[in-house]
Amino acid sequence: MRNLFNFIIRNSHWLLAALLVAFSFYLVFTQNSYQRSVYLSSANQVTGWFYSISNDVGAFFHLRKNNQLLLERSAELEKEILLLKDRIDILTAADSVEVGDLVPDSLPVSQFDFIPAEVVNLSFSGANNFITINKGSEHGVKPDMGVISSGGGIVGVVSVVSKNRAVVIPVINPKFRLSARLKNSENYGSISWDGTNIGKAQLQELPKHEVFHEGDTVLTSFSRIFPRNLVIGFVSSEGRSRDDNFNTFNIQLATNFYTLQDVLVIDDTYYEEQKKLEEMLQQ
Amino acid sequence: MKLNYIYEIVLFVVLILLQVLLLTRISLFGIATPVLYVYFLLKLPVGRNLYYVIFSAFLMGLIIDIFLNTPGMNAAAITIVAAFRKNILGLFFEREGYDDFVPGINTAAGPFVRFTIFMVLLHLTLLFFMESFTLFNLKNTLLRIATSSVVTIPLIIALDSLMYRRNPGEQ
Repeated sequence: MRNLFNFIIRNSHWLLAALLVAFSFYLVFTQNSYQRSVYLSSANQVTGWFYSISNDVGAFFHLRKNNQLLLERSAELEKEILLLKDRIDILTAADSVEVGDLVPDSLPVSQFDFIPAEVVNLSFSGANNFITINKGSEHGVKPDMGVISSGGGIVGVVSVVSKNRAVVIPVINPKFRLSARLKNSENYGSISWDGTNIGKAQLQELPKHEVFHEGDTVLTSFSRIFPRNLVIGFVSSEGRSRDDNFNTFNIQLATNFYTLQDVLVIDDTYYEEQKKLEEMLQQ
Repeated sequence: MKLNYIYEIVLFVVLILLQVLLLTRISLFGIATPVLYVYFLLKLPVGRNLYYVIFSAFLMGLIIDIFLNTPGMNAAAITIVAAFRKNILGLFFEREGYDDFVPGINTAAGPFVRFTIFMVLLHLTLLFFMESFTLFNLKNTLLRIATSSVVTIPLIIALDSLMYRRNPGEQ
């Protein structure tokens, strides 16, 4: 009996280790990234504070480059304005077209609002990529909102939100799924990431008859989270399919995650309404 | 002795910050990431209370997990390494060493390097296999373990020789 007690006392550190490891495993298996606690994620106050300091320093070094990008973007928009102005001029100048056709009866309510945010942290060291942004519930960010980059490419979906921070599950996370289509052929597929390359994702479940064209634009299709026709990326090569019934293409993502700084969170005014309506049917 | 504890707390904090703010963002060729914080376990005195070793390692892993949004993964890996630390020490160092003996490049270069290699490999193997629960890709996982070890081990040895040069009086 005394030997037994001695044995237990001598080896009780194994017990402590086993308990702690069991607790860790409990966290690994229960904390699914779609329903994890705010305190155990980088959306909490303390980690957010550390990250925003380190980001302020980092942002300083990116200023020049971001300026450049903004200039390019504004030039692009400028061009678009000119183009549209020209078209209005042509249309109004023609006798046969009445100007009234161009003016809507009532002002349309815009369906999408954009909340600008800054990336304060991003990790892409493996299977569990995420992005932390500096806007939270205080600024109107809610779980399940879409996030796009300032250049227009899609980034991911908001997962956890605290008062001033939100964690985004990016396209380059194995848990991310999104329905997508090819611009030219209107065929639908599903976007996912195989975990190997941060610049590339896979477009799966395309119909077998879909022909591979390098450089085809991949756009968002029906989704509760993203508006239609946002650019996801461009077809770069043929991928390996899981079975013979479908085609898989590798796509080059439009968003460069290495230099991601400014993002826009999409606030869909009709999100709740549509969700409620669709859930009613499922019941 | 008191000085030792202060030194360890500073090391604890610095390694966590270094890992979450800097090293995790490094991804050489998209696969190799230095994982330096296991250095904390290398630098604890040989005879340090096992509960202290295991619990501080767990705490470190958990804090890193919270920063990196990987609940439990780093904590589980580093706790397992901490639990076996004493047995691994026995493999590389003389048993009759003093309890206050701190492994280091200055105290015993050869055994310390072998000890580092073993600990880093064990830690990274556990860590990356745990990560791959969600994404199973054996070839990629093995490649990540190998390349990350190749980056981490020289970094630890370089760091240790630097520390030694800066305060030669410290144990």
